[in-house]
Parts: sequence; structure tokens; C-alpha cells
Amino acid sequence: MLRRLALMVFVLWGVTLAAFVISHVVPADPAAAALGNNAREAQLQEFRVRNGLDKPMVVQYGVYMGRLFHGDLGTSLRTQNGIAADLAQFFPATLELTLVAVVFALFIGLPLGMLAALRHNRPPDLLARVFALVGGATPVYWLAILALNVFHERLGWLPGPGRLDAYSLAPPVVTGLVTIDAALAHDSEVLIDALRHLILPGLVLGAFSAALLTRMTRSAMLEVLSQDYIRTARAKGLPGRRVIWKHALRNASLPILTVLGSLFGSLLTGAVLTETIFSWPGIGGYATSSAVSLDFPAVMGVTLVAGLAYSVVNLLVDLLYVVFDPRISFS
Amino acid sequence: MKRTIAASYPARPSLVPRLLALAVALTLPLASAQSARQTTLVLGGDFSDLITLDPGVSYEFSGSLITGNLYDTLVGFEGNDLSHIRPRLASAWKITPTATGSQITFTLRNAKFSTGRPVTSADVVYSMNRVISLKSPSSFLLTDVANLKVGSVTAPTPTTVVFDIPKTANPNIVLAALTFNVGGIIDSAEAKAHEQNGDFGSGWLRDHSAGSGPFKLNRWDRSAQVALDVNPNAFRRSINIKRVILRYMLESSAQQTALNSGEIDVAWDYTPDAFNAAQSNPKLKALKTSTFQMAYLGMNSAKGQPFEDPRLREAVRYAIDQDGIIKSLLQGLGRKVQTIVPLGLAGSNPATPYSYDPAKAKALLSAAGKPNGFDVDFLVSTGSCSGGVPCQDLAAKIQSDLAKVGIRANIKQMVNAELLTAYRAQKAPLIQVAWSPDYPDADGNGTPLADYNAHSLAWRNGWNNPQASKLAQSAAIEVDQTKRIALYKQLTDLMVKEGPYAILYQPYKPVVVNASVVGFVRNANGDVQFEKIAKK
Repeated sequence: MLRRLALMVFVLWGVTLAAFVISHVVPADPAAAALGNNAREAQLQEFRVRNGLDKPMVVQYGVYMGRLFHGDLGTSLRTQNGIAADLAQFFPATLELTLVAVVFALFIGLPLGMLAALRHNRPPDLLARVFALVGGATPVYWLAILALNVFHERLGWLPGPGRLDAYSLAPPVVTGLVTIDAALAHDSEVLIDALRHLILPGLVLGAFSAALLTRMTRSAMLEVLSQDYIRTARAKGLPGRRVIWKHALRNASLPILTVLGSLFGSLLTGAVLTETIFSWPGIGGYATSSAVSLDFPAVMGVTLVAGLAYSVVNLLVDLLYVVFDPRISFS
Repeated sequence: MKRTIAASYPARPSLVPRLLALAVALTLPLASAQSARQTTLVLGGDFSDLITLDPGVSYEFSGSLITGNLYDTLVGFEGNDLSHIRPRLASAWKITPTATGSQITFTLRNAKFSTGRPVTSADVVYSMNRVISLKSPSSFLLTDVANLKVGSVTAPTPTTVVFDIPKTANPNIVLAALTFNVGGIIDSAEAKAHEQNGDFGSGWLRDHSAGSGPFKLNRWDRSAQVALDVNPNAFRRSINIKRVILRYMLESSAQQTALNSGEIDVAWDYTPDAFNAAQSNPKLKALKTSTFQMAYLGMNSAKGQPFEDPRLREAVRYAIDQDGIIKSLLQGLGRKVQTIVPLGLAGSNPATPYSYDPAKAKALLSAAGKPNGFDVDFLVSTGSCSGGVPCQDLAAKIQSDLAKVGIRANIKQMVNAELLTAYRAQKAPLIQVAWSPDYPDADGNGTPLADYNAHSLAWRNGWNNPQASKLAQSAAIEVDQTKRIALYKQLTDLMVKEGPYAILYQPYKPVVVNASVVGFVRNANGDVQFEKIAKK
């Protein structure tokens, strides 16, 4: 376990180094990007000195890492805000969306995959396979535009872009997750509004994962169902439901869990397109605007948080392995 | 029921009143939401350039748009008319010559800040000194353009302010620069109360407001929305809009959806295609609003650079099919201009001496000793160019136009910041960019585009023409309007023939509003006076 944690720190350090080097080899001047087209040379120089951009790269990295050890992610060149504060503002929006997407993916992918395996080569299986194929191959931006057009613009069933209706106002920030904050503020109207706003982007973002999960569940279940012990269990006269849930699914859960873990990580960082189309004020938009304006400290912050989230989820998956399969242990 | 954004939460009431409140809430929301909708104006657009709402620091389009409604300047423009400077916080002013230059004396009107305090001359002095000391991206408008120093602005009485201007600055340009948000007047007591480490309250003013404009800031949720509430103390009274919300919607498609479903009233960033579709929709009003922007090609004319020979620069101007660009790429969202001062400013020159003439371009190339043409690196930004056209589409059209006369432009796409760095370092052989003046005066283009010594665009293109520099400098400080316009005529005529630019177009900015919105005007500066808007 300790080794795992040490490895995680090592990986994160690697992430900072790679991100730092990559963001600093771009042949452009962050001072000019921050101050715009008309800034004078003296202003640019003053900005560089103030933000330590005049120092050699090695020194800049040293300063950055020194601050990082004190929990300081630095200051954004563009907004002049603390990066930690910026991330604290944008990350919850992405997390909320991602959690909803994972829930959707689980609720669609798991049952569909199981159904497909149990009705192997029959219509439900065919349906699941088509869904897995189409869902996995559909570009997310296209799906997003289509979903908005049909369910919001034409049918008017669901609200459009944003986390809340333009006329309703966000609850006081406690966790940053609007649904939770609305519940804490006993504001049922905003809570319902927030939940309704989560449906479309959540489904769109979750669609790819649901498709992948369907396929994984189907093949894992198929494999398990053909094993001897399932036949034995059935022969013993155990009820079908018990066989499926207790024996088959439990044994098929490891590959599913692995996929789910890596999906969560990629969802967290890959929500950029969905966030853009749904005007979702999350980390995706922050990352792109920071990258475009050469805001190195902000880019570093986003990379680090994404790396951390990914590592933590992977660690959790590994821990869950132990729960699902007693043969594995950390010693 | 709708709450105000900044409402704080009362202690939890006991069950019975809460149930009652819920019952009321369930029966009433439609009615109150309806009336809130009626008095709320929602704009959807790409406001991601917003980094601060401090009027002394903000230098971005979105920042100017919003601070223009939060703060009053001494003088301003009304609606679309950008040729007449009008009273705002100053009810009157007079310009008097002095031994060292000139003096502008402003008389302040009776006005109050949103904080309730009266606007005094001391606030004006504080606001100007603050900008000069802050050295913000827009400070140069006061320090370099208006030549002001701390101490140049004085307050002899509580309602009089005097600006002392040296000979090197033109008082009319000073007035024009003061209309920009850099001239916004801040409640000095409020700013001082929130000062930290000598920042003149800049950290606090980033997302708070202390002005006398028709609106005050309620809340800015970064990357989500900015909410403004009507300022009850304002002298510029809002007709019926009580709240303005600017929602971040980066995608034109998202704006279309939201505008069609009535979620937003104004779409700020439409693509030319979407704009064309909106023109035939009776539920919408598609507005072609003017800008002072100019999309142009910069040609490096320094010694040893590809465009050193003026005949090659002329060849490019003949080779570009401007009408084709405006008609097919911009779908009409642009005007044909060829001189350096944009249409709509005093001193602009509508002459278009260059027609699309590839044969003439070829002849010029031969005369310059390049009958077989030549290769040149063509620097182009990724993303969207003025008028909402993808930069790469525009570049592809120009590349094909130039290829027809033998100029082989090798497109190099890069992010804007990278492009700018190369341009600033005089390392752009041929570049596709845009410029817009910092203040609505011909000098906002004259000096940077013509005067090499200003270290701006002429310098970036390695083009040093002493005659042009002299003309730009004299025009800048000329006080007599007739003489001034004559000087700009000379300057623009010289530049169109000799200069290092091929102007491509002056774009319109497409804005689409719901048909129920009346009084919506966006001027060429990008300002919208929210208080003049109403919803039917």
C-alpha cells in the first residue's frame, strides 16, 4: 500500500515535469498573451519580472516546485487569481457532471450488457451490440448538438445549456456542487432546476462510457457464464437469479471495474467538448482558455488536478479489487 | 419564486411557515418568473476574455462592455454616434490654451454612486491618479496618449476638475480617450476601504463595483455568468430592465438554441451562416452592427525582407479579391476599405483605388524583378478572425488569390499568442491579423499604423517612412478639425500607395436579438447602453 502511494507521488511529479517542459517550449511570450495586442515593451518587461518569467526555466521550475510543497499552486497569469481558488471554482462543476455521467453509464451499460450476455445471439443481444457500436462511434459534439436540438429546442422537454436556468440564481457556494448546495439551502426549486440541467449533458457525456461498459459487461459475463462453476451451480439447482448475481456478476466485475476506473478518469479530463457545447463552467473550458492564452501556471494546475484525480480513482479501483477478489491482496 | 442573487439565507423557519411558503411557491412561480423575465435582459455570448471588472485595468472587449454600464466617464457617446462627444458625469467642459499646452475644465453634475455617496471632484482625481499609478494594460491611454502624470488632474472645487495637458497631446484626443472605461470614475472611499498592499482596491474591484453607472454588479460567476442589477441612484435611468445577465455561451450553436427557445434575449456571437438564417426569421432581429476593426495583411518591408520593394506590396493589393472575400466568406458581414482609418471616424478615407486585377499584379511582380513570383511564409492564427470567419478559411482564400499571380504563400498556423510574439519581434514576413483603435479617433489608427517611431504596427512590419511619421504626428496634435481632416487625407493617400498593409475588410459584428427587445444599439466601439433597452 505504501509502495502504491509512493508510486503515485512519483507519477504526479513526472506529470509536473512533463507539463512544465511542454508548456515552456512553445515559442511564444505569455506576457504578450496576457497584456494583449497594444501593450508597450516596458509593460511587458514589468509583467515578466513580476511573474518571474525573466528567470531561466530551471529556476522557474524550482520556484514552482518549492511553492507546490507548501500547497501553493501559483497565480494565474491571465486572471491574476490564485490557481487553487480558480480550480476550486471550476472543478466541482466538472465533478458533478462526471458523476452523473458515470451513474448514467452504470445504469445503462451494466443491465444492457448483462441482458445481452444472458440472451446471447437473440434480439436483446443484437440491440445491445448495436448500441455499443453506435454509442462508441458517435462523436460527442455531434450527439450534444443533436440532443440539444431535439430535447431542448424542438420538444422543449429539457432545459438548454448552463448549470441553471438564466433566471434562477445559484445557491450560496458550500461544496460547489449546485445540487448539493441547493439541497443544503433547502431550495427545492433550484435543486430541481439543477437536476434537470444535468440530464442532457450527463447523458451525452455518459453515452460513450455506457457503450463501452455494455460491451465489457457483455463479454465478461459471457466468459464467466461459460465457466464450469456456473454449470455446477446451476446443476446444484441454485435459482437462476442467484447464480447470475452472486456467482457470475461478482466474477465478471473485475474487468468491468477496471474499465469504469479508467473511464472516470478520462471523463473528468475529457469533458471539454461537452462542457463547451453545454456552456458548462467546468475545468474543460478553464483548461482550454488557459492553454490558448499561455497561462502556464493554470495549465500546470489543471494537469496536476487531472493527474491526481486519475491516480486516486485508479487507487480506489485497485482497493476494490481486494474486496471483489480475495485472492488479490496488498502485502 | 425568484430570489435576488446576493440574498443571504435566513435562519431555518419552523415547519408550518415552511410548508406554507412551499405551497405559495408552488402556485406562484409562473407569475413571478414571468415578471422577472420581463425585466431581465439575458445576453448569451463568448465573454471568456473577461478578466477583471475594474474599469482602470480592464482592456478587453467584454470588460469594456460591462464596465461601461457600471461606471460613468466624464464624457461619453450616445448610441451609435461616435463623432460627437457628449456630457456624462461632466455637465460641461471647456478647453483653454495655456503656456505649456492646454487645460480642460470639467464641471461635474449632481450624481451619486451606487454606494450612496455623492460623486465629487476628489473621486475624479483619485480615479485618474489610480490608473496612472496602477500601470495597467490601459494606463498608456492616460500616460502616453494624454501625457498625464500624477498631479496633472486637480480639483479646485468639489464640482470642478482641471486636466493640465502638455503641448504634445491633443485635448480632443484626451476627451476621446476619456470616453473609454479607463476614464471610469470610482467611489474613492469604497476603493480605499478595500485596498490591499497598495493595489488601489484593484483586487476587490475585480468582481465588485463602486460606480455611478446605470447598473451595479451583483455577481460574477467566472465562466458562467455576470449579473448586473439596476443602480437606483443612477442618473442614467433604465427604462424597464432591472437586471442584466451575461451568460457565457461560447458556441454559436448553443446561442441559436437558447435564443430560439427564449432562454436568452440577445445572441452576441453568431457565425455568418447562423446570422443569415436569422435574417429570415420573423421572431428575431438580425443586426449588422458596425465596428472599427480592420482585418489586414501585414507585409514585412524591412531591408532584405520579402516586401522591401513597394511594387511587391502593390502587387499583393491588386491580387486580393476583396469582393469575393466579403461576399462568400463573410456573407456580406463586412465593408470594403483600403485606407488605414476605419469608416465612421472623422478622417477616414473611403477611396478604393485597388480593383481586383491579377494581370496588373503580375506586371508589378515582373517590374520588381520577380516574373516567376516568390515564396513567403504566411503567419495565420488558429481560431476565428474578425467577422466570425475561421482564420484558416480566410487564409486559404488569400493563399489561392496570391498563387494566381505567382506568390506562393506558405501558411503557418499558430495560436494567437504565438503569432503576436513573432509579429512583435518583426519576424512575420506576411501575416493575417486585425487591428482596432483604442479610442474612437483617427489617431487610434494613424499613429500605430503609420509612425515607425511609435514602435507599433509600422515598426512590426519594418516600414519606416519619415513623411508618414511626420504626417501622423502633426495630425495627432492638430486642434483645428478641418486642417486635421486634410492631414489625414494626405496620410491615408500616402499609406494606401506605400504602406505595408493590404486591408482586407472592415467587419460588421452580427448580433441577433429577440423581436421583443427594443432599443438595442451596439456602437462601433462595442458599447451597449443597457439602460436604453426594453422588452415589450
